[in-house]
Amino acid sequence: MNELQRWLGSSQILLKISCLLDFLYRMAPVLLLWLAVCLSGTWAVDRGNFKTCDQSAFCKRQRALKPGESPYRALLETMELTNTRLTLQLINDNNKVRLLLELYRLQGNITRVKINELKPLKPRYEVPDVLIREPPTEPLSLLSQDENGVVLSLGAESQRVIVSARPFRLDIMEGREVLMSLNSRGLLAFEHLRMRSKQQSEWQQQVHISHIKWRWSLSFLSHYNGDPYRLYNLDVFQYELYNPMALYGAVPVMLAHNAQRTTGIFWLNAAETWVDISSNTGSSETPQTDVRWISESGIIDVFIMLGPTPNDVFSQYASLTGTQSFPPLASLGYHQCRWNYNDQEDVQSVDAGFDEHDIPYDFIWLDIEHTDGKRYFTWDPHKFATPKEMLQGLMDKKRKMVAIVDPHIKVDSNYKIHNEIRSRGFYIKNKDGGDYEGWCWPGSAGYPDFTRADMRAWWASMFAYDQYEGSMENLYTWNDMNEPSVFNGPEVTMHKDAMHGAWEHRDVHNLYGFYVQMATAEGLIQRSGGVERPFVLTRAFFAGSQRFGAVWTGDNAAEWDHLKISIPMCLSLGLVGISFCGADVGGFFKSPSTELLVRWYQTGAYQPFFRAHAHLDTPRREPWLFGPENTALIREAVRQRYTFMPYWYQQFYLAHRTGQPVMRPLWVEYPQDPATFALDDEFLIGRDLLVHPVTEEGARGVTAYLPGKDEVWFDIHTFQKHNGAQNLYIPVTMSSIPVFQRGGSIIPRKMRVRRSSSCMEHDPYTLYVALNPQRTAEGELYIDDGHTFNYEKKEFIHRRLSFANNVLSSVNLAPDAQFTTGSWIERIVILGASKPSKVTLKAADGQESQIEFEFDASMSVLTLRKPGMNSGADWTVTLQ
Amino acid sequence: MRFLIIISAVFCYGFVDSKKIRGISSSYKRFYRERKSFLCIDGSKIIPFEQVNDDYCDCEDGSDEPGTSACPRGRFYCTNLGFRPHYIPSSRVNDGICDCCDASDEYNSHAHCQNTCWNLGQRERAYVEGQMRTLDEGLRLKQQLIEEGVLLWREKQAQLRELQQVAEDLQIKLEEHRRRKHEADRLKEQTLKALEAADSGLRHQNSTVTSIFELLDSNKDSSITVDELQAKVALIHDEERVLSEDEAVALLGGGRQMDLTKFRHTLWDILTKGDSVKIKDTHGAPGSLVGEDLHLEAADRAAKWEATNLKKVEEAYDTVNMEISDLRKKLAIDYGTDWEFLFLNSQCYKLKVYEYTYTLCPFNQVTQKNTAGTEVSLGKWGMWAGTPKNQYSQMVYENGEPCWQGGSRSATVTLTCGTETALRSVKEPSKCQYIMDFQTPVACQPVLKQRGIHSEL
Repeated sequence: MNELQRWLGSSQILLKISCLLDFLYRMAPVLLLWLAVCLSGTWAVDRGNFKTCDQSAFCKRQRALKPGESPYRALLETMELTNTRLTLQLINDNNKVRLLLELYRLQGNITRVKINELKPLKPRYEVPDVLIREPPTEPLSLLSQDENGVVLSLGAESQRVIVSARPFRLDIMEGREVLMSLNSRGLLAFEHLRMRSKQQSEWQQQVHISHIKWRWSLSFLSHYNGDPYRLYNLDVFQYELYNPMALYGAVPVMLAHNAQRTTGIFWLNAAETWVDISSNTGSSETPQTDVRWISESGIIDVFIMLGPTPNDVFSQYASLTGTQSFPPLASLGYHQCRWNYNDQEDVQSVDAGFDEHDIPYDFIWLDIEHTDGKRYFTWDPHKFATPKEMLQGLMDKKRKMVAIVDPHIKVDSNYKIHNEIRSRGFYIKNKDGGDYEGWCWPGSAGYPDFTRADMRAWWASMFAYDQYEGSMENLYTWNDMNEPSVFNGPEVTMHKDAMHGAWEHRDVHNLYGFYVQMATAEGLIQRSGGVERPFVLTRAFFAGSQRFGAVWTGDNAAEWDHLKISIPMCLSLGLVGISFCGADVGGFFKSPSTELLVRWYQTGAYQPFFRAHAHLDTPRREPWLFGPENTALIREAVRQRYTFMPYWYQQFYLAHRTGQPVMRPLWVEYPQDPATFALDDEFLIGRDLLVHPVTEEGARGVTAYLPGKDEVWFDIHTFQKHNGAQNLYIPVTMSSIPVFQRGGSIIPRKMRVRRSSSCMEHDPYTLYVALNPQRTAEGELYIDDGHTFNYEKKEFIHRRLSFANNVLSSVNLAPDAQFTTGSWIERIVILGASKPSKVTLKAADGQESQIEFEFDASMSVLTLRKPGMNSGADWTVTLQ
Repeated sequence: MRFLIIISAVFCYGFVDSKKIRGISSSYKRFYRERKSFLCIDGSKIIPFEQVNDDYCDCEDGSDEPGTSACPRGRFYCTNLGFRPHYIPSSRVNDGICDCCDASDEYNSHAHCQNTCWNLGQRERAYVEGQMRTLDEGLRLKQQLIEEGVLLWREKQAQLRELQQVAEDLQIKLEEHRRRKHEADRLKEQTLKALEAADSGLRHQNSTVTSIFELLDSNKDSSITVDELQAKVALIHDEERVLSEDEAVALLGGGRQMDLTKFRHTLWDILTKGDSVKIKDTHGAPGSLVGEDLHLEAADRAAKWEATNLKKVEEAYDTVNMEISDLRKKLAIDYGTDWEFLFLNSQCYKLKVYEYTYTLCPFNQVTQKNTAGTEVSLGKWGMWAGTPKNQYSQMVYENGEPCWQGGSRSATVTLTCGTETALRSVKEPSKCQYIMDFQTPVACQPVLKQRGIHSEL
């Protein structure tokens, strides 16, 4: 999780994007405020272990550039314009090195700009596998041309690109408005590949051999004085909040939003990258934000996503990197983890504890101690002597397990995985050509080269049931330490001069974790013959990681601030495509107070990935260890989660289909309401649930902002109605989880909470119909088998539920899809209703029947008793 | 003590009620007599009787749906004929998992449940019988151990008294020896003083001259010869060099030998007052007065002898006192109402769990040893920490070796009834916090009661 996304997710709103690269954002004052917060706060991270920009040669050098006359000139005579792309050479007048600029208009209002050396000494790294395909283009047309530049039409909406020749500059306009500019301050710098020379001492640091080596970097401008945000996947021990240091994952995407427009930039580069952001907010000039991207290697490959709405940006980004994988339904349930459950007996007794205390859960997790000496794909022969027996025991209760498989492989000639990787030459090499070895959990370890497709295919094959001994279909996988973490490496990661075939580690670093999860997820798919959906959790990630599973926010701590930050962290990840996000409930390091633990369960129950986890050195904290009162509070929070499982599942289906985040900041749904822009202590799940968890110690009340001027919100517990566009003070007790359903929505729930989500598969639905002031409501109901890819073969039920004119109806949204379910509608609760005299159900075959109902006049809640129709059928219910 | 297993099957259903209500026990039947309407048991609501068990929850307390999964707060009664009846949460009805051994909870699910109650009942009965046998045997052994404990307690008390007696005796002895040593020291002091007083006296000189003469006269013929002189006398400034014959002759006053009388008047003065020659052998050289005096030697020996004796007695006294204090400390520990745990004292019990060997020495300490032989303390005897009802059901050992992230290791030992005394299991559920299961007859409680296995309809 990188601070950049944290910042993005906090929805600090940039008023206007005016330029690319030398981006002139006009921005709201909130940004500055947030950045100020970023600089405060300290904790146990040892900052000395990690670089600042000043300690990074390329960052320091590039950052030292000052605005001025750019040495770059566009050679218009070299311009070639085909139907799909424009190419043009740039020349640096100082050293006469030529660059090649490519410009594409992509489908869906995206512009792509690539800049590479025209004739590099050797090819420069271009990131593969992150884009789901070569993005389809749209025609570009020339509007005008003279010796000063060219103007191109970007198709619809009067969007144009202006390429200025001397100095080179690129502006994207809509009407008379500049949306983004590149190099408007003359700070484009692209260092070309050179033979390494002895005089370039700053490049000597990591260079120990004297044959050809290249070092280069590229950058854009800024005049920001704080340290820039750093995108470099690192295993940061006891990370600090509110600072721009690197963390486990990086998604080089930046969003900007104001009341009129949302735009985004996707910087496709996997090398160490610094993002320098500054703004002039507060001065009298036009507000703007400058952003400079500095990457150590590779090329410039930028996607400008022009919105204009938040959802447009999400689908634009999804069209490039793909959408959230559709998780197995069970993985949206509760996960019980600890480093470590010691042996099979321990697993069994924790499992039994959940039954004894009537708390549902779906997955129990095993951390590294379950292996035979940290050899992944193996089991400790004493403590986990009969893993299949254990897994069968869980399966008998319709529960599942996750076991950890990390990418560092113990160097041990008696270890099959190691021997195979070594003999196939699949390890990453050191600069001298030998297998790279680093220190990690098992001691000396090799790191498989996951950038190789053949290595990934082999890795995937290791998850086959006959290869991974002791595994069964209810065993899933967790990839940790995949930044990669190298205990004795620089900044606890791999040396940048390690070799992935022809490429240096510096070129591919931020992709490593992405590939590990990709190969693992593929393995879980393959072992079932392509039938079952995988579940893989990863710590390191990159753009596109959403396609392979879930991400958690790494090794947090049992502190209130860490509970609070879990909201903006996951919001940020959701905005950049990674919806399946969660933080360790309870906090990984240290031991939470009982109050903090309960509040964390209550918060986690309403976040996408809901897993409790604890460090080896902390006392036990299974939910029933804190007295009956707290057990009851935790049970209630987990049970609330399970009642909403149909809604969660539906939201993930939507995310999978469209790229819209599951957990959303309020501004995504209320883009024109500036009051929503800075909120990061409350959030939406989908469009219809607003959650303001209690994250303050000793809280007696919270103030939630309910958005929407003409909207109403219903407390899901009391059904009390509240008006939108107000700050609502809600008194709270230890049992309170303030959650509201939007008036105008219909949410399907399953109120019979059982031991696990699989046990609830055939259970009936309760529909919560919350009426808006116009007395209408809409919702959806999505049902499939919950675990296979058969939904791709149209085996699902997708229905639109709508209420208007006192008629509630269920209409098929996917008439070509086929699925049968035994589940039925057991109850319909209409919030904000008036009392009818009669309620009639009309079934698909035209038969009518009367439905009994109850009306609670104090809260205006109408409950229809047992209408009983099948969830997949057409029907209408009429209130008279 | 006898334990009764009552199996009573009542074959009378179907006569009282016209319709069987699923999921209730016979004691609740009165609430479900078929009428027109049903009153929720909490009295909150009246519903038509058809709505009982109709798979929709009407009552807040779940009482209208004892046989379905409809109510969140409901419960389902497993009759479990042949085994123990019990309630399960309604959420486990028809969830595809067999919970009741009579399979009654999965009457409408895909689960294929077998009625296993009879087998379970048999196993349970066998188990309970085994438990009862264990308990009987355990109690019998416990009685023995109590008796042994009482004996042991008495023995220890006797031992304490004995030790105290020994200590008293030793104290007397100690005083005697202190007195004797004091006396010997005094004597030695006296002798020494007397010698010092006579230091310049003739007697002393006589004997000194005589002894030096005798020293030089190696062959004891009452005459010092050149050879003898060469062998024993050296030049002060050149100790290494042997006197020449001429030099020796000169020292002998020009002759080749010298008798005691001549020695006293000539060579004696040269040797004691001159600065040219000296006696080579320092033993018995002038100035080493003590060794010369037999009285003084005897006095010194006597003083040393008494000192050694005193030290021995002192050591013995300290040892005994230490033993007394140890024993007192041990006897101060709570060994149960009948001293039944006393026999555990000074015993140790080992158990190997994976790569570690654990050793529990009750009332002393708990340790863990790895295969490499490194031993770590998991705690020293702390206290009894059982329930208020039976405080002797758990022991706590504290302040073991410190842990990596602060705090120190500790072990909680739970005592369970068994016919043997042995360590049964060791676990470390959280880092540095160990729990042990320790089985022993003395943990057997005569009040132990089992839930009855019976059946009803």
